[in-house]
Amino acid sequence: MGYVLKKAIRYIASFFAIICLNFALPRAMPGDPVMNLIGEDIYVPASKLEEIRSEIGLDLPISEQFTDYLWGILHGDLGYSYHLHGEVSSLILSRLSWTLLFVGVSVILGAVIGILAGALAGWRAGTLKSRFITCASMAVACTPPYFLAMLFLTVFAFKLGLFPFKGFYDEPTIWSVIHHLFLPVLVLTLFSASRNLLVMRGSVIQEKKSLYALYAKAKGLYDQNILFRHVLRNASLPVITLIALDFGFIFSGALFLEIVFSLNGMGTLIYDAIMGRDYPLLQGTFLVIAIAVIVANIIADILYAVLDPRIRRKDA
Amino acid sequence: MIHFERQGLLWYSGIFLLGIFIVMAIFPSQIAPYDPGERFMPYEEPESGHLLGTNDIGNDIFSELVSGARISLIIGFASAILTTIIGLAIGLTAGYFRGLADEVLMGLTDVVLIIPKIPLIIVLAAFLRPGLWLLVLVLGVFSWESIARVVRSKTLQVREMGFVKSAECMGFGSLHIMISEIIPNIIYVVTPKFMLATAAAMISEASLSFLGLGDPSMGSWGNMLSFAFSRGGFVRDMWWWYLPPGLCITLCVISITVIGFAFEGEDEGVRIE
Repeated sequence: MGYVLKKAIRYIASFFAIICLNFALPRAMPGDPVMNLIGEDIYVPASKLEEIRSEIGLDLPISEQFTDYLWGILHGDLGYSYHLHGEVSSLILSRLSWTLLFVGVSVILGAVIGILAGALAGWRAGTLKSRFITCASMAVACTPPYFLAMLFLTVFAFKLGLFPFKGFYDEPTIWSVIHHLFLPVLVLTLFSASRNLLVMRGSVIQEKKSLYALYAKAKGLYDQNILFRHVLRNASLPVITLIALDFGFIFSGALFLEIVFSLNGMGTLIYDAIMGRDYPLLQGTFLVIAIAVIVANIIADILYAVLDPRIRRKDA
Repeated sequence: MIHFERQGLLWYSGIFLLGIFIVMAIFPSQIAPYDPGERFMPYEEPESGHLLGTNDIGNDIFSELVSGARISLIIGFASAILTTIIGLAIGLTAGYFRGLADEVLMGLTDVVLIIPKIPLIIVLAAFLRPGLWLLVLVLGVFSWESIARVVRSKTLQVREMGFVKSAECMGFGSLHIMISEIIPNIIYVVTPKFMLATAAAMISEASLSFLGLGDPSMGSWGNMLSFAFSRGGFVRDMWWWYLPPGLCITLCVISITVIGFAFEGEDEGVRIE
């Protein structure tokens, strides 16, 4: 009971902190809050400005503004984009599924590859292959994702012409989508796998020294069996926490890749919002990303409990 | 996490690379052939007397690259110093006083840990349009969680040791004990985290600059890369324009990370086998 409650309070507090930030930012930042709330670079006559001011409730007392804001969010109202003339929530919804597909596939592939390759790299630490793969992962993890994307785009799309260089598809068939998404997914997977690999490797090196691994060896199990049956499960626990906390980071990486690969997802939406100073849209996207990260963390907690019976027992 | 020893090829190449970048940052005018603001023919290719050609407004790319080192390194290290100070203060307070302070501060850490940093920094930077020092502030203020956690757990160990107890018996104040007894004994877990924070801040800076947030006239490597992308250097395949700043960011971050991991490996007493 205590454990789940503590976690739940933590997530609710994070969500509340994010909402407060979102509420406070346009009102606290320099400049007229009306302009901060509708976005700059947009011409509004002075009379209309007053109209908008009362329409978004800026003339109300701050506590009332906050309850209105909270009420709106709970009903899926993220505000109105004066640039694109549409509800922020529907603008985001139309783009979100592509980005989630792109991020979801990459995170899952990155987790599987990172955990397996990291386990082998840690188990056989010191061999040439393991050293090479560790160094390569470090190099990838240290590269800004969009720069890596630019390199891949240059080599595989411009030079070799193997892949298209923009868009999600030419014709809406699954093969066209896979063909278009291959490069971006590859880059993001490499990125996420390399971070997981480094942590998994360290974790396996630690676990290798524990007594149960020695006992399994004494029992006469094959080397590979010890790793995949016993060590892998224990060693992957810190990686699962990492994957969840990293989700926001990978998601941000995806936004940059969408800009480089000209994919019409959340990333390009954010880019346009920055260029046009469309603050409501920008804040709405931040809120949606934050919610996605919180959901990813909850999923990781559940997964953790499935893998680690000690956590489950704490609850019983 | 990753264990390297403080010797061997990786360690020395890390030191060597970072050394080059630091020399570039300290003596840009001695190394760069031209002033980065000086204008020549635009879009020159590397053979034309400019080592790496010129960009769209005719600046010498190699000179820009050299003077970008100072900006990028300042942003990285300054935000990491800020991050470390905040993390150290929170971790020490939580670990030393325990009880309510610990509950509240670590609860706060857990809450902040979940908030996605780069999107938050993007939103903040969009409102603020920060220059160099404001950017350092924005990058430094939001990434102290991992330092705070490590510092707390080490402080919990160190505070039970004899010399801390004797200092307490001799009547020294808590602040004095934290600063002169505990910090010297936990600083070795902070050093690698400091290096990793520097690396992370440099990548964040490059990302923000790529989006055109931050000050475009700052002249960091991120700015150069962003211009190369948005002003046609990338589409026209002018590799001498977009490749050097990207490689500089990557190599600099790698060298800092390698040095950080080497410190980390040492304190855990684990060597690479």
